[in-house]
Amino acid sequence: MSIFNVDFWIGVGVVSGIYGIFTLGLQLNVGFTGLINLGQVGFMSVGAYAMGMLVVDAGWPLALAFPAAILISIATGVLVGLPTLRLRADYFGIVTIAFSEIVRYVFQNAAFAGGNQGILGYDADWRVFQAWASGRLAAIGLGEVAQLPLLVAVWASLLLCLAALMALQSSPWGRVLKAIREDEDAAAALGKNVFAFKLQSLGLAAALATVAGFFLAMNVTYLYPSEFDPSFTFFGYAVLILGGFASYGGVVVGAVLLCALTEGLRFLELPLSSGQSGSLRFIIVGLILIGLSMFRPQGLFGGKAEMQLRA
Amino acid sequence: MTVGRKAASGAPAGAPERRLADIPAAAWLAVVLVAAALVMTIARGPVAVGQTTLNGLVAAGYFSLGAVGLTLVFGTLRIINFAHGDLLTLGAYLTFGISALGLPFWPAAALAIVLTALIAFALDRIIWEPMRRARTSTLQLFLVAIGLAMVIRYSIQFFAGSQVRAVGQDVLSSLSVGPFHLGTLQALVLVVGVAAVALVGVALAFTRFGKQIRALADNMALAEISGIDTLRAVRLIWLVAGGLAGLAGVLYAAAIGSVNPNFGFFILLSLFTAAVLGGIGNAYGALAGGLVIGLAQEWSTLFFNARWKPVVGFAILIVILLIMPRGIFGVGRARS
Amino acid sequence: MTTTREAGEAILAIEAVTKRFGGLRAVDDASFAVERGSITALIGPNGAGKTTLLDLISGYDRPDSGAVRFEGRRIDGLAVHRVARRGVVRTFQLTRVFAAMSVRDNMLLAAQRHPGEGLHRLAFGRGSARRAEEAARERAERLMRGFALESKADDYAGALSGGQRKLLEFARALMTGPRLVLLDEPMAGVNRALGAKLLDEVERLRREEGMTFLFIEHDIDVVMRRADRVVVMAEGAVVADGPPAIVRRDPRVIDAYLGRKGDAA
Repeated sequence: MSIFNVDFWIGVGVVSGIYGIFTLGLQLNVGFTGLINLGQVGFMSVGAYAMGMLVVDAGWPLALAFPAAILISIATGVLVGLPTLRLRADYFGIVTIAFSEIVRYVFQNAAFAGGNQGILGYDADWRVFQAWASGRLAAIGLGEVAQLPLLVAVWASLLLCLAALMALQSSPWGRVLKAIREDEDAAAALGKNVFAFKLQSLGLAAALATVAGFFLAMNVTYLYPSEFDPSFTFFGYAVLILGGFASYGGVVVGAVLLCALTEGLRFLELPLSSGQSGSLRFIIVGLILIGLSMFRPQGLFGGKAEMQLRA
Repeated sequence: MTVGRKAASGAPAGAPERRLADIPAAAWLAVVLVAAALVMTIARGPVAVGQTTLNGLVAAGYFSLGAVGLTLVFGTLRIINFAHGDLLTLGAYLTFGISALGLPFWPAAALAIVLTALIAFALDRIIWEPMRRARTSTLQLFLVAIGLAMVIRYSIQFFAGSQVRAVGQDVLSSLSVGPFHLGTLQALVLVVGVAAVALVGVALAFTRFGKQIRALADNMALAEISGIDTLRAVRLIWLVAGGLAGLAGVLYAAAIGSVNPNFGFFILLSLFTAAVLGGIGNAYGALAGGLVIGLAQEWSTLFFNARWKPVVGFAILIVILLIMPRGIFGVGRARS
Repeated sequence: MTTTREAGEAILAIEAVTKRFGGLRAVDDASFAVERGSITALIGPNGAGKTTLLDLISGYDRPDSGAVRFEGRRIDGLAVHRVARRGVVRTFQLTRVFAAMSVRDNMLLAAQRHPGEGLHRLAFGRGSARRAEEAARERAERLMRGFALESKADDYAGALSGGQRKLLEFARALMTGPRLVLLDEPMAGVNRALGAKLLDEVERLRREEGMTFLFIEHDIDVVMRRADRVVVMAEGAVVADGPPAIVRRDPRVIDAYLGRKGDAA
């Protein structure tokens, strides 16, 4: 395949947009609230499956199932947070992984979720939209580019979420969050209900994960449990650290860079099997995580001061 | 707030007191386990309970050995080492690699265990020690651990492939004692596991090094004040933890009969549960915690389908963290 | 136990409060009351339990036994933020300003019941959030000016000098509109002029707004001149309680201080 294959790069664009939205949620938790949420993929899974099941099993239109799925995943975020947010940071991290693994396990083994077969057929409404969009794009000669509507939709959503989060951050609410991240006891001494803010942060991250999950579901057109495993979250953390902590813009840049890098590997024509290339991708991600954490923890756009998280 | 803290005395402050305070909790745990066994015997009969108990003891071997390593390195890092599970995977796969070169299984395993210990030692020197010296934040340590776990896991996968791999030993023959049976290999794992746990327990209790690492795992600052050469002790801890992890990985592979490159990572959650159950930083507690997890997972098959076994581990983790985050023996610090 | 002047209403009542850490009693059956509108000093040798008591009042810790009452209602056992919302604010021995945030943001954070801090306000009620923010800004501006911090309003709080940070923490505490202010060693690390300014402000607030102050202090001079009432603690217990002139001559107080000279604190 030529390196100039447009469809390929559009595909990369879609995936990086999905990771961007996903990691915006992580940034809110980690960079702005000080919560090491390692279960983000679990929220994405809950949201995507909820949407899929509402459409396929309950016959809901996609336009209703999607917002409903967001509400369900926010509720899940709150439920997970209620008992766990008072734990210390690394325990919280492990428990959130346990949560995402339980979700994956349940979806893998329970009949109502289709088991290992997964769910498909939920994207009928989306394809209608895509056909319409392609029709409109044909007017400017881009009707043949298959994934273009999806790319536009993903990136429009990403930029919208970015704008919303930045507005939120400069609001009084965001100010409290910043204070909590720096010194939650001092914030409490000023009358702030730290626990409630952390819950809200987690719930919002869950919502963002579901938005990412929606586009993921539309991209791959069928849901199966093993795509929602912890390595998705870890990849998100690599994006996070690349772009830098406490920088939403950095997330977008980091997502594009990392996806381009890992997908672009296939052009190197290495004498590797596809399985090995896959492994190599993750090895590189792991090395990036280690290297950046050790030598440039603030990433590309983060400030050194932002790295002062309470242990 | 300095009022009220006991002054550090000459000896490792926590160690002998910890042993005494553990006894009532240990007795209570034993009572609970025996009571549970009795209740289940009434429900499912002695044979089923006895069989699952045997299976549970087999599993307890690798859970305990893995958990004790995790709890010991926790003492040096103050965080859960995410990459610890992958050391188990490393031990198992190195065994395959070496035996593919011609060595029989068990000598290959011994060599693999030594190699895993050395690798763990090297990782500490190259990665963890500089970060400890620079006093990096929890988040950074955590991310490094995650990255390291990925590098180890996917390097193994790179060379060995991602498919499930059979251990290649005789997994069919089994032993029978009365109504109970155990695969020969599993019986071997049981014997080796029990022996290893006993050895570790004795070494922790009676050797000078054992006392030092117990004190360090419990409270590094206090250990330092007590005059322990923490630098040497930390390095030795990593060597030992790596070796125990390698052994646990080999035992797991032998007991289950097959492995895939992800097994270490999945088992990490159970190891963490065992370590937290026993009180994080408490080495004896980790050994006991491994026993509880092993038994609980196998006993659960008396009531639930076997494929829900891992979920039992997760459920215990969540319950423990909610109601007893200090664990059974711990004086741990679970709250922020 | 010497009592004081005319019976003022007790805004804070410490009733037989005990707190143990391991085997040691950090606070040992302490009882005293603080009058509304008074300036009360809490003194005693190191390790006497003063900061622990402040922690117990402000909610950072719970007493093992006894009760803490604020305006008649129990506050022991309440979460820190709830105690703060009741009108009790504290400062810390080592200042805890938010170093990575601007001075102004530090002040604005202290605004109470700010609708802008509610997430739902983003959707509905933006108007009230905006109005509250403007009001808070004005108030913060006034307070900053009162402490000569307004020129630093946009600087990082971390860039302030130690003395300025103390002032900021104090100004921030006042921003919450408290009725009781707990000050943990407000003079520590501050030069005399600045310290005097701070205490002048304390006296003004007490006079004009009826605010009550309880402060931990080591400088006996300051205590004698500024406090209405002195509570002396030693080894966790309240040893004396009364006007400064009387307390300083109380033999038990002298004993508590002199007796400590030989011990390791």
